[in-house]
Amino acid sequence: MQAQIPLEPEAFAEDIYRIVSHPVMQEVYRFRHRIARALRDFLDSEGFVEFDPILIGPVTDPGTRGAFEFRIPYYGKEYRIMRSGILYKQLLAAAMEEGRVYFFYTNLRHEPIDAGRTGRHLVEFVQVDLEVRDADHFQVMEIAERMLKHVVDEMKKYEDRLRRIWEFFGSERRELRTFSLPLKRYTHREAVEILKEHAKDPEVIKLLKEKFGVKDPASRLSFKAEIPWEWEWYMSKIHEEPFFIHDYPKGARGFYDREYPDKPGILMDFDLLAPEGHGELSSGAAREYEVTRVFARMRETNENPAIYKWYLEFLKRHGVPTAGFGIGMERLVKYVCDLPSIHLARPAPKVPGVHSP
Amino acid sequence: MSYPVEEIFRRAELGEKSVFPRSDEFGYNVFGADVYDKPRRFLLLDDLLLLPPQFTPERLEKGVELLREPLYIDVDTSTTVGGFKTAMPVLCASMGGTHIANLLGIKIAEACAKMGLIYGMGENIASIRGYDERLTDQPSFKERALTYLKNMQGGGGLVIQQSVEDENMKLWEKVYTDPDFDQYIEEGLVGFEIKAGQGAKPGLGGEVLVTREVALRIKDHYYIPDDPEKVVKKYYERHSAPGTFTEEILASQIRLIKNNFPRVKVFVKTGPYRDLDRVIEIADREGADAIIVDGKEGGTGMSPVAAMRDLGLPTVSCLSAISRARERGAKISMVISGRLYDGTHVVKSLALGADAVAFGRPLVYSCLARIPLAQWFIKNELFRVGPLASLSKRLLSTGIRLGKCVEGVMNYLKSVRLEVMLLTSALGKYYMNRLSKEDVGALKKELADLFGIRYVYGPPPGEKVVRQVI
Repeated sequence: MQAQIPLEPEAFAEDIYRIVSHPVMQEVYRFRHRIARALRDFLDSEGFVEFDPILIGPVTDPGTRGAFEFRIPYYGKEYRIMRSGILYKQLLAAAMEEGRVYFFYTNLRHEPIDAGRTGRHLVEFVQVDLEVRDADHFQVMEIAERMLKHVVDEMKKYEDRLRRIWEFFGSERRELRTFSLPLKRYTHREAVEILKEHAKDPEVIKLLKEKFGVKDPASRLSFKAEIPWEWEWYMSKIHEEPFFIHDYPKGARGFYDREYPDKPGILMDFDLLAPEGHGELSSGAAREYEVTRVFARMRETNENPAIYKWYLEFLKRHGVPTAGFGIGMERLVKYVCDLPSIHLARPAPKVPGVHSP
Repeated sequence: MSYPVEEIFRRAELGEKSVFPRSDEFGYNVFGADVYDKPRRFLLLDDLLLLPPQFTPERLEKGVELLREPLYIDVDTSTTVGGFKTAMPVLCASMGGTHIANLLGIKIAEACAKMGLIYGMGENIASIRGYDERLTDQPSFKERALTYLKNMQGGGGLVIQQSVEDENMKLWEKVYTDPDFDQYIEEGLVGFEIKAGQGAKPGLGGEVLVTREVALRIKDHYYIPDDPEKVVKKYYERHSAPGTFTEEILASQIRLIKNNFPRVKVFVKTGPYRDLDRVIEIADREGADAIIVDGKEGGTGMSPVAAMRDLGLPTVSCLSAISRARERGAKISMVISGRLYDGTHVVKSLALGADAVAFGRPLVYSCLARIPLAQWFIKNELFRVGPLASLSKRLLSTGIRLGKCVEGVMNYLKSVRLEVMLLTSALGKYYMNRLSKEDVGALKKELADLFGIRYVYGPPPGEKVVRQVI
């Protein structure tokens, strides 16, 4: 058992070497490497082509849950640092003969300070971002669950090493639970119904109030809104295996998540959640690709279509159905290693509001 | 349309004293209601009267609570609008980044904060004046916003608009992730306002004049008919898009704020549109916290003359849409604005279903009133005279530093608050939410029908002409 050292985000500013050289932290970083290799092996065997991330451009996708974009001067204009690879991966899935592309995409999001308190958000992070042509969300959900299973099965081989990490962080986990497919699928409505049922239990409400400092958790559940952080954590906590929530209501997601043509207000999208309170690992969807629909959706999300010129021109002439998702590298590491906070999954983490190296 | 600037100047100088006739004339003169008026094109809230009753059960109730006869000072003017507590049912309408609105905006912000009023920040402030650092010789967005937040006393909230062009700079996201705003957001003191219309120019976007320096900086984001690279002149027209709305787009924008910025209140500002009833219905259904309806008489920094004359529904008609929504059981806070400037306007609006009234120009004029020479310039319209125009601009900038602008605005607001207290107590009521339709009567049959209220030259509604024998 190694010596305990301070590991809160601020401690990285004090003595980063002491943290990153710690034997347990080294082991976490090795798992990040093993997971990345497993992901690449899987995607390559499925016929995907890897691209390097495109870091800057005249426009990036709209942020979610209030995250701001970083900007840099670019020859008299202002360019944006990508918050995700969505615009470029849609372009490349349409353009490439294989119709299957992925990135290990480094993204920057200037998250609100309260996101830093969730232990699940970083300003700088990597997502494995992929897109498939002529597919819908259900088809890419199958890829997502096979990919996750592949990663977990591979990491199972290193369980002894994982155990050391678990012990160090005081995890209650004794084994890396493998699972069989298909994973459980809930519609957003079903998930909210389950949570509303649990919200009747005063013990549950007390727990959420204490853990998240939320005044009235029950009132925050709605069929028309995203599942709030505290409830997403709870849903994840009451599961022992990863699961999907799909068909979210329109309102929070970007304009590019396709709305069911026959179910107005419902999106053809999904989240893949890890169990044991780790929460969302991945978000994905079928894409809007017809320019008329995208234009209206941009207004709905209060976006200015004029700044998306290249993207709208591309869709107008070459838009085809695609679907895809992004899976958070750090979240995957956090889940496999059962880390108490996401910032431990990166050697120089950027937690919202914290000035660290 | 003529605007009662002298009236507002008087209030800014005298404060609560202005509520009564001039004291130096007391004992030498008698006063009565004006019965003559200039012919007007449309009906105003001034075509309604307040109707106090003889029998006042609520005064009795209040007396029992106080164990003495209630007075006007016992009227509680505080209320809740869009989830914000406010010291009186008046809020500062969102004013934008134009020269006058922005220069005075910082003083108005301080006055509203000290009076416990909700303060609105209009569009194009951050994009024209700068978000953090000053891009012109005027206060930046953050200077205005933080002046308000830091001076808050006993109520209020900061409401921030984002135009299509402000979206380019992602203003809401910038505010939401800014550590300087975080504590206020966490305390629930910030709201975001969807700008879906304005009384003086419904269906038109923002129209302002900007200097060449500003025009060059913003030309990629706005429509400027004369390209400042090619045409050199002092001022350029800058147009911003009105923004396309469908029912679905409005609903989605509300949902988007609720989902993406869960810690802020959602306000919708709309104008005198013919489908206003539906706009209110959707905002209410989607759970927006407040809707501000600006009638066609509403103020503006700049709008086409024809638009001000002929576009949109008069303020009273807009108020009737609020009244109908109230009767349908709307839960959303509803605010009316558009050439409203005194306590009678506030009390009448509340009686007819509004939760509050928004003031724009009255705050600008009461701010100007306390700048040396400003009254004289405005009364004589000297700012229209070529050589004096630039002088007036300079006088304004220095005058704001020297003048007592904050006091002017506070004086004005105190006079309105006193009137609201006096009038409400006259109606035998002591809380803002007790004002109701029975408290108003119409001088015109059209208005009586429109609101379902008493026509003052007829019997009370529902009253049988046959007397009941006791």
